[in-house]
Parts: sequence; C-alpha cells; structure tokens
Amino acid sequence: MQLTETDNQRFFDERKLREKRCAGWLKEQSKSVRKPVLLAAIAGITNGLAIIAQSALLAYILQALIIDKLQWLVLMPYFLWLAAIFVLRSVCVYFHQSCGFEASANVRASVRQQLIDKFASLGPTAIKQRHSGELIAITLEQVDALENYFSRYLAQHTIVGVLPIIMIAVVMPVNWIVGLIFLLTGPLVPVFMALVGMGAASANRNQFLAMTRMSGYFLDRMQGLATLKLFGQAYHELTNINHIAEGFREKTMAVLRIAFLSSAILEFFSAVAVALVAVYVGLGLLGQIHFGPAQQISLSEALFVLLLAPEFFMPLRQLAIFYHDKAAALGAADAILTILEQDTELVIANNHGHEEPSSIINNVLNTLDALDNKSSLIEFKNTSKSYGQRQVLTDINLRISAGEKIALVGESGAGKTTLLNLLLGFEAATEGLVLLEGQSVTREQATQTLAWAGQSAYIFHGSIRDNIALANPDACDQSIIAAATAAGVTEFSTQLAEGLLTQIGERGYGLSGGQIQRIALARAFLKNAEIIVLDEPTANLDTANKKRLLDLIDLLFKDKTLIIASHDNEVIKRMDRKILIQQGRLVP
Amino acid sequence: MRDLWFFLKLFKPHRVWLCTGILLSLLTAFASISLLTLSGWFISSSALAGTAISFNFMLPAAQIRALAITRTVGRYGERLLTHEATFRVLASLRSWFFLQLIPLVPGRLAALRSGDLLSNMISDIDALDALYLRLLAPAIVATLGVIAVVSFLYLYSPLISLTTGTMLLLAAIATPWLFKRLGLAGAEAIVALAASFRVRQIDMIQGLADLLANQAYSRFSGLLINLSELMINTQRQNNRLTAMSSALTLLLSQITLLTALVLAAISFQDGLLSGAELALIIFCVMAAFELVTPLPQAMQMLAKTQKAASRIRHVAELPPTVIQPKQGLAIANSYELQLNDVSFRYVDHHDWVLKNITLTIPQGTKLAIIGASGSGKTSLLQLLMRYFDPEHGDILLSGQNLRKFNSDDLLLNFGLLSQRSQLFAATIKENLLIAKPKATMTELNAAIKAAGLEKLISYLPEGMDTWVGESGLKLSGGEARRIALARLYLKDAPVLILDEPTEGLDADTEQEIFNALAKFAVNKTLIMVTHRESGLSLVDVIYRMELGVLTEMAAS
Repeated sequence: MQLTETDNQRFFDERKLREKRCAGWLKEQSKSVRKPVLLAAIAGITNGLAIIAQSALLAYILQALIIDKLQWLVLMPYFLWLAAIFVLRSVCVYFHQSCGFEASANVRASVRQQLIDKFASLGPTAIKQRHSGELIAITLEQVDALENYFSRYLAQHTIVGVLPIIMIAVVMPVNWIVGLIFLLTGPLVPVFMALVGMGAASANRNQFLAMTRMSGYFLDRMQGLATLKLFGQAYHELTNINHIAEGFREKTMAVLRIAFLSSAILEFFSAVAVALVAVYVGLGLLGQIHFGPAQQISLSEALFVLLLAPEFFMPLRQLAIFYHDKAAALGAADAILTILEQDTELVIANNHGHEEPSSIINNVLNTLDALDNKSSLIEFKNTSKSYGQRQVLTDINLRISAGEKIALVGESGAGKTTLLNLLLGFEAATEGLVLLEGQSVTREQATQTLAWAGQSAYIFHGSIRDNIALANPDACDQSIIAAATAAGVTEFSTQLAEGLLTQIGERGYGLSGGQIQRIALARAFLKNAEIIVLDEPTANLDTANKKRLLDLIDLLFKDKTLIIASHDNEVIKRMDRKILIQQGRLVP
Repeated sequence: MRDLWFFLKLFKPHRVWLCTGILLSLLTAFASISLLTLSGWFISSSALAGTAISFNFMLPAAQIRALAITRTVGRYGERLLTHEATFRVLASLRSWFFLQLIPLVPGRLAALRSGDLLSNMISDIDALDALYLRLLAPAIVATLGVIAVVSFLYLYSPLISLTTGTMLLLAAIATPWLFKRLGLAGAEAIVALAASFRVRQIDMIQGLADLLANQAYSRFSGLLINLSELMINTQRQNNRLTAMSSALTLLLSQITLLTALVLAAISFQDGLLSGAELALIIFCVMAAFELVTPLPQAMQMLAKTQKAASRIRHVAELPPTVIQPKQGLAIANSYELQLNDVSFRYVDHHDWVLKNITLTIPQGTKLAIIGASGSGKTSLLQLLMRYFDPEHGDILLSGQNLRKFNSDDLLLNFGLLSQRSQLFAATIKENLLIAKPKATMTELNAAIKAAGLEKLISYLPEGMDTWVGESGLKLSGGEARRIALARLYLKDAPVLILDEPTEGLDADTEQEIFNALAKFAVNKTLIMVTHRESGLSLVDVIYRMELGVLTEMAAS
C-alpha cells in the first residue's frame, strides 16, 4: 500500500479530467429537458413564496392575538387564508416532484436508446470483450441512477439561485439589519463551503488512490477466493481484510472529519442566523438596542423575520442533501460513457471515404475490375486486420465465385473467424478491401446477401418456430415447416408436445448441440440467401451428429455459395476447394 | 424483519458507538427544536414586557446562543460518530460475509465466478449501512423526540399535546405507509419488468451476431425499448403516488399547525395560556416537523434494506457442496488417484456430465484428456480436487476415499493452472507470495526465472513491487498466465492439474509455457485437459472425453 505523492497526483488529475468529461455529458443531456426542470424549479420557488406569505400571516395572527388581544373568531379570514396557502404549498410539492420525474424519464429513455443503438454499431467482436452482466447493469441500473440528478438536483440548483435573493428583498424593507444578517451570512455559506471543500479536496488527493484500491480490495479477494483456498490462504486473508478495512475506516474518517465541516458550516450559519435574529429583535423589543430599526419594531415584524431565518437556509441545505445525487449521476455517467465513447468499428457505406485520392481511384478501379469479372462474388484485396499491436490477418488476397463450396481451414486462432467477420461487415479491415458482389462490403448489404451461423447458434427466448423465422418473422407457416423439415428440425420437434411451438431459450436449454445446429441450418435455409457462411458448425458435435449435419448441409445448400470454416477433416473432404490460413496469412 | 434482526445481532460488538451516535443525534435535535421554541418565546415575552426592567433577558439570550452552538457542534459530532459506527459495522459485516463464503467456494459458487453475484453482494452489504444510518438512528431519534415534544407540550396544554402527537404520527407514518401500500402493485410490476428486460437483453447481447446477421436487431431492440417505456410509465404512476404522499404529509403537518394555533388561541383567550406561551407552543409545533421529515425516506429504505439483508443471508446460509469430515485423515506421502465407476451431474440438472468413469492414475503419471468444450473434462478435474462429490462411485487418493479428507488439506496437494489466471490487486511480489507466504528472495527469483517473467520484471521500474490487477498495471493474458505458472512453481505440489493451460495464448508463449511445465513436472503427477493438440508431448497417456464418456487413445 506504499503510494508515492506523484502517483496520487497523477491519478487524481486523471480522475478530475474524467469527471469533467462526465459532467459535460450530463449537461448535454439536460439540454433536452430544460422545460420540465424549469417547471419543477418554478413549483419549488412558488412554494418558497408561499412560505414567505405563510410566515407573514402567522406573525400577523400572533401579534393580533397576543398584543392586540383580538377575538380569535375575528381572525377567521386570516385562518382561512393560511389554510389556502397550505393547500397551495401541497400542490406545489406535488408538481415539483412530478415535473422532476418527467425530466428524468425523458433523459433515461433517450440514454437507453443511445446505448442500445450503440451495441449494434459496436458489433459482436467488441461486445464480446465485455461481460454481458456489466452491459445489462449499465443499460438498466446505471441509467436509473441518473434519475435523482435530473429529477431533484437540477431544479434545486435553480431554486438556490433565486429563492434566497427574493427572501432578502422581502426582509430588507421590514428590517434592514436582519436583511443585512441574511445578506452577510447567506453568500458566506457557499464561500466557506468552497474553502472547506478545497481543504477536503487536498485531503482527498492524499487518500484517493488508497481509497479506490481498498474499496475494490474486498471484491477482488472474494472473486479470487477459490485461488486463495487452493493455496491455503483463505483464512489468512481474513486478517488482511480486517486490517485493510480498519485502515480504510481510519483514512475515510480523516477525510470525513474535514468533509463534514462544510455541512457543519451550513448548520452553523443557519443556527447563528436564527440566534442573531432572535437576540437582536428580542433586545430591540426590550429597548436595549439603539441601532437600526430596533426601537420601532413590532412583534409581528419580529416573528416574521424569525420565522424566515431558518427558511432562508432551507434551499441550500436541501441542495447539500441532494449533493449525493450529483456524485451518483457522475458515477453512472462514467459507466455509460465507457460504452458510448467506445470507438465504433461500423463499416460505413464507403469506409475509405477519407483516404487520399489515389486510394479512392484504386477503390473505383477495384470495383470496376470486380464488376468486369462477374464470376468473383467475393473478393479480398490486400486485406489486413489488426487489433492494436496484434496482427490477426495479413495481406489476404482471395476470390470466391458463385456456387463454390469452400472449406476455410486453419487452427483456432489462425484468423478464420476474423476473416468471416470482415465479410459480414461486423468489423472493418485495417487495410485493403473486402468486396461483395463487386462493392465494398457494408453490414447492411452483407446481412442481406449472406446467411450466417456461428459455432453455436444462439437460441432466443421463444418458440422453435420464432427461432427459425429470426430473419423472416413474417414468413408463412408453410415455408417455415418446409425449412424445419429440410433441416431435420422436425425429426425431434414432432416428439415434443407442442411441436414447433415449443418454448425454448436460455441458450437452448434442453436442446442438444446437434439440435441447436439444425435450428441454425433451418434459419439459414429459410433466409434463402445466395451465400451461406458457417463458422465451425460441427465443433461441439459427436461423430454421428456431425455426419448427419454435414449430410443436411450438402443437401440444403446444393445451389448456393457455401463457405465453411473448420479444421475438421470430415468437413474439408466434402468441399470443392480448400483455403488454408495460418497465423493470419493464406497458404497457397 | 427477521433478516434485519439477524444483522442487528451482528452489530452488537459496536453498541457503544451506535448508542453514542444516537444520543448525540438526540441532543442535536433537542437543541434545534429548543432554539426555535425559545426564540419564539423570548421575542414574544420581550414584546409583552416592553422594557428591560421587568424582564430578565440575559439568561434566555445566553441560552439561545448556547443552543445555536450546541446544534452546530452536535450536528458535526453526530455525523462523525454515526459514520464511525457505520464503518465499524461494515468492516465486521464484510469479514463475517467472507468467512461464510470460504466453505462455499469453489463448489457452490464456481458458477458465479463471473463476479456478477459477488458485486451485487457488495452493493447489498453497502446497502446494509442504511440499516443504522438511515433507518435505525432516525427512527429512534424521531420516536424519542416526538415523545419529548408531546410531553413538553402536555405541560402547557394536554389537548394540543395529544392533537399534535396524533397528527404527527398520521402525517409522518400513516400517510407514507398508506401510499406505499397503494404503490406496491406498481413496485412489483417494475421488478418483474426489469427482470424480463434483463432476460431480453441477455438474449440480445449474447445473440448479437445472430441478430445482426439475420437483420433482426432493430426488431429485438424495439421490444426492449417498449419494455423500458412500460417500466418508466409504471414508475411514473408510482412517482405520482409518492408526490401525493409528500403533498399530503405536508398538508397534514400544516393542518396540525393550524389546529394548534386555533386551540392555543382559544386557551389564551380563556386565560389558560399566557401570550408568550402561545408563541412558544406554535414555534415548538413547527420545529417538531423536523423530527419526522426523515421518516418517509426511512420507510422506503426499510423495504430495500430488508431485501438486501435477505439476499445476503440467503447466500451466506447456502449449504456447501461437500461435507467435511469431523476429523480429516492425514494425507499419506503417496498420491495414486483412482476413480471407480464415477458418475456425476450438477445439482438441479438432470443430464449426466460424467458417465461411469473408471480410471487409475498412478503417482507420477502424465496424462491428458482431450475433448470438445462441454464434454465434462473440467468437471472431472473438479471432482479430483473435491469441489464436488460424485453421485455414484468413489474417488480414492492412495486408497482412501476423498470424502475422508478435509478439503482444505486436500487442496494443498494440487497445483492448478487454468485458462483463468487469478491476479489479485496487489504487487507482483504479493501475488506470488500467495503461493508460499514464507518464500525467500532466492525462491521467488527462481520461480520468476522458471516462469519466464524475468524480462517483464526487468522492464518495470518498480520491478516486483509493481502493482497489478484492478487499477494497477494491466498484464496481458500471457503475462498473467506466467504469474500463475510461477505460483505453481512456488507451491511445488505433487499433483499438477492443467485445465486448458494455454487457452487464449499465442503460439510462442504456448510453447514456452509447455517447456517450463515439462521441466518442473518431473517426478510429479500431471493431469491435463485440453481441446487442442499442442502440449500433448508432455504426456504419456491420452484419453478422449466425449459427452461424459472417457476412452483411452493410442499413446502418442
């Protein structure tokens, strides 16, 4: 746990920059909800105005009762006014909350939409890098964590800017000394809070890295518990955890001792303002004070300013309470932005649009060339692909004509799947071209022209029928049944009580690997695409199932262009042409 | 409630901190109410007296100042103390939970290694801090505070005292409770909608390639957005209820004030109260609202905390997958492993993972099992290390049933290298020392050399003291695997278990790792599971696993 000061400084600076970016993003999002936030603020401010009126009425009533000795029945209209104000305040509270909700609802819906669109544009390769639980937590919980910031914090921020000023303006003509007390203590609060905040920030800087590391410590050790046990260290680690938790508490408390000063200052000013006002007007009423309007003060004026004193600090105290909301929203924004700001690999219509002219000409020439040679349906031209430093595909040149039956052969990790992903437009080539029907490939075009099934097809929640009709949800029963029969799905579905309408899901729980692959074949067959691409279709099958599946493939896709990636001899034997790929290069 | 009570009992060792925190909160609340009440009384008395001659103003003026200071200092102290108490409680909760997890790992919690459940658990444990800070403390302060205020008012007017007490209860407890009941159906609907959102999204993310290739993504994402809209609409209805509840709570407390005002005015005119006392009562009633403002929120926290508590308890009370013998056998210095007609399936699954496996592995054998993923290879390894017990058949270690050994002792005899190399957030050195806490520098250096880590460490300015893992230096998969390899070397266990040891590594690293393994597997038993061909040069015997059935293949 030895940390150097530079470590802390650098880490802190990075955090700060990131936080700034997150705050900027939150601000951007808030632009679309200005109206409901404003309405919520107006409701809050109206409530504040009602509090002023209520205080004035209350003070007046007390003066009338105590000093002027009026009968309480005579004061009935004032009681009724008071009741009316109470109702108004309740209505304001209601609208304040529901307008705030609208603001947060709009933002959350739009962020969710942005995220879901982003998943598609990131594509399967990038998405696989992340844990699906994490992605779901971001779209669901993290987006919901934005709620309070937009529903309460933003409106309160506006209220704090308006309400205290109105209160000072109201109090000034009644008693300018009290107005002055408000004026002096009010702005001092943010100033002192900022000062203390800076102190807390520097205390923070010293502890921040240690804190981040420690809060992750527990999760880290729980995740590694199996390893700890393997080395007989689990119980020993318990003492470490206790030790670290102890240190964490001490360090956090050191930070909190300073951080809580800011709320203590709020409390101090609020309490002192009440005390000052009470003592000043009290002594003024006794004739003990001779400066300011103390001598001609009435009880109602005195009570009015006393009632307003705590209310004056109320918006600020609320904001201090809602401060957590901002921290929570910043945390959520951080998580959300890791997705939204990830670089997209989307293959756009002309993915070489920004390159120098010569390459565009090349591109055109290539395209013309490809058009000339009608027989080459798919063409890779000097295609390379790398992920950062790692070169996956190097200088691939390949032509595939319509109707060919191709085995794409290579060990796992040789680059077969990447090659297919480029063809499907799931990923973009780092260099070179991928042409499909003579055009630079786009995901849109590729997914129309190709049918694809991966190593283990994904089975979605729903019926077998829904899963077969994935690409053609409007397909008629007849063609679905035809596809199911042709692909051998009916061989097992007829034994199920509900046939093709049997509900499956959760990765095809209850189905065997062979059955899942047959559903995938039916899916591809129903799609009736020109090119069929199968990625290791037999990887998870035993010998008997494998043979049956390959027979089906031969039969179903007799007239199609067929590309199968595999390192299985049985598969290679059945294809017309073998393309060997080794460590990212084609072997002639 | 039983779950909350369960955790409250765990809080016991910290009761001094907890009680002091609550006492200080009470003191602060007392100062806050008194400040306003006394000020109201003081001003009215002054106005009535008119001159300083008949009225001793020094004492109340001094008291007002003292209360203002008490309130400030009290608030600060209260926040410090309650947080101190919370951190102490959380620390002991964490170590308690860790202690409960130890017997559940890896058998019971192996499937949960993704960390999903664990990170949920962490947030649930954090949620338990609300139990004291936002639930217990405010509830106790409010209860005692309201009792104090009601008793105080009783001295002046029993009628006003009782009315105020009843109305406060109605406003702060009955109203939020009622509206929470009304929103119950909505809240449950939200949970159900969120669950189906989750299921659909898992489908969408894991099946992303299939969706994109079949041009079905927008159809599926449309469904998801619909679910999100439904969720927000239900939240909107519930939010309306909450807003109504706040509005009604406010209205009720204001009506309390109005009632108190009218009642006090009548008593005043009947000569039962003085003018100053009238002001005192009104200010006291107003200040008392502050006591109950945290209660509606506490009520919301109650359900949430309760759920968190029951989830933690549920995990903590899971039965372990294997039952430990009371007195574990001492492990003899012989490591022949024997499987007699072993069949195994996971709890809650009806498909057999391993079917009638009989196999003898004499000490020093080098053996590989190849087969497709999901064929049961890894399950076999897990049975050997007694993560689970077989449903049929026996596994023997030097002639003794595995069930007779204590798992913790047993594990010390296995060195495991798998495709997941667990790196801890710690320095490289600490990561290595886990395998042998008392290792000397010479031993560490030998391990580093054996695992091919020398080059990496010489590049790092801080060498072995470089922080790795979460928020530290990111190591590549190959480097992490080498650290696991160095651990394997340090542990020097007689039986090496290699579960796809080079999965995900490039060919060069793979070869280097196999070379290193070949060197220190001399004289050890080695059991390797793989679905690739490479590395088979290490072994003498090869078996093939197909759908849970083990068959021997010709020697390589």
